[in-house]
Amino acid sequence: MPLLEYLANGLIFSSIIVLGSIGLSLVYSIADFANFAHGDTMTIGAYTALLTFGAIGSLGGAVLGLPFGFFVALLAGIAVAALVAVVTERVVYKPMDVGSIGMLITSIGIAFIYRAILQLRFGADFTRYDVQTLRPIEWLIPYGIRITEHDVAIVLSAAILVTGLHLLLQYTDLGRKMRAMADNPELARVSGIRTDRVKLWTWVIGAGLAGAGGVFLGLYNQLSPRMGFSLLLLIFAAVILGGIGSVYGAMLGGFLIGMINQLMPILTDYGIPIGIEYANAVAFVIMVAVLLVRPNGIMGEAT
Amino acid sequence: MSENRVLELADVDSGYGDVQVLTDLSLHVNENEIVCLIGPNGAGKSTVLKTAFGLLSPWTGSVTYHGDQIGGMAPEDIVREGIGYVPQTDNVFGSLTIDENLRMGGVARESGLDRVIGDLYDQFALLDERRKSKARTLSGGQRQVLAFARALVMEPDVLLIDEPSAGLAPNTADEVFEHVQAVNDLDTAILMVEQNAKKGLGISDRGYVLDQGTVRFEDAADGLLDNEEVSKLYLGA
Repeated sequence: MPLLEYLANGLIFSSIIVLGSIGLSLVYSIADFANFAHGDTMTIGAYTALLTFGAIGSLGGAVLGLPFGFFVALLAGIAVAALVAVVTERVVYKPMDVGSIGMLITSIGIAFIYRAILQLRFGADFTRYDVQTLRPIEWLIPYGIRITEHDVAIVLSAAILVTGLHLLLQYTDLGRKMRAMADNPELARVSGIRTDRVKLWTWVIGAGLAGAGGVFLGLYNQLSPRMGFSLLLLIFAAVILGGIGSVYGAMLGGFLIGMINQLMPILTDYGIPIGIEYANAVAFVIMVAVLLVRPNGIMGEAT
Repeated sequence: MSENRVLELADVDSGYGDVQVLTDLSLHVNENEIVCLIGPNGAGKSTVLKTAFGLLSPWTGSVTYHGDQIGGMAPEDIVREGIGYVPQTDNVFGSLTIDENLRMGGVARESGLDRVIGDLYDQFALLDERRKSKARTLSGGQRQVLAFARALVMEPDVLLIDEPSAGLAPNTADEVFEHVQAVNDLDTAILMVEQNAKKGLGISDRGYVLDQGTVRFEDAADGLLDNEEVSKLYLGA
């Protein structure tokens, strides 16, 4: 039953896309521009984890086939991605007064800068984390599912992060302010919200999640300076499909786009001659089809 | 009527970008009174509120609150001084619940948030019944009430209200004006812009007629309603 296998792979890939989508949507809703450097922020997370893990080693025990040191490296990846994004926001984006399109173009430039720096330091080749390559989990093989404990770690970690974000948004003062600002920035100021601080935290959270997504992308595939940027268009598709500006839409869109991507082999199984190399094209076709019916995305509100 | 001025704009020029809207404008609001700004479209009524609230900086002249200079301060700081502002449109957070809207109104409070919100629920029963509903599910009149309540969480000394009756059916508009009066009864002075000049002046103590960015007439509300020239030019009588 290959379907279960595809679904399992979809879940893993979705987890990574969702982590990327949330930050893109959050920043769009609050800073009001499409941040093309978001994919490369993921790459920064991945390479930070590579460096950190290389420096600290395994630190003894392991969970789900991943040494404790790897989880420390994950936290470092999150922290550095967030830090780099915040510094970029303060030094470049915030002082700029160029409108949404100008910001978009600027962020493309920032993306190139991030990538160039990584490439100078690490070279353009693919590389891997120094973790043991695992065999698929035995008891799932009879069901046709070949996934490793690393894959389970990716899905569980993403679920924990997304749940954490949900709790933050719904039940904390900062989360309410973030939602208020995304809803109506002018009214947020008028209500006395220090919007600069909320913006800052939005960057921290969005880029931090992207950093985590990057670390997992490196674990799922390999690391290369282009890894985040290559995924960026798919993340945009997810965010737009879900309804840009809506965090929950980004989660849903990320899930759907990730699933569609990994369910592609079904087409060939049923004799439709569209190979998996066209996965992104199919995802975009579906996105366009949905937008024709719901121009603001699945969870987007009509304006 | 006490002559204790809560808010005063003196000789203010202001506008958007390079476009000047207000010219040498002076007006004030005393403690506990309702002041209505009327005048034709484009007269600069909303610009007065925006300048008073820091959404626009006065180019020249002064804006004072209880005698202290507030011109050029940011809205998030002016809120903390004790001035509330209710925009004309988009004046509630549609995707937030009513309770969350009120909490957002009180982010700058250091204490007593639950007490004030409790009091507001006592005063506005329709909000109390729907605490957990999203604000976007409210009708136009209900939204306006929520917008007032959000601004009242800070217990401001003066509330600036931009066209409370805009887009509302006549009956609903009357209800909203009643709420404006109820707010005023809580010792909150009100500076209100109103398109419906007769109704606006009808609940006000004093009024100003704005035209082309400056004050043309200023009088007690009754005086303006009885003024033939004002009636002919601005009240459509």
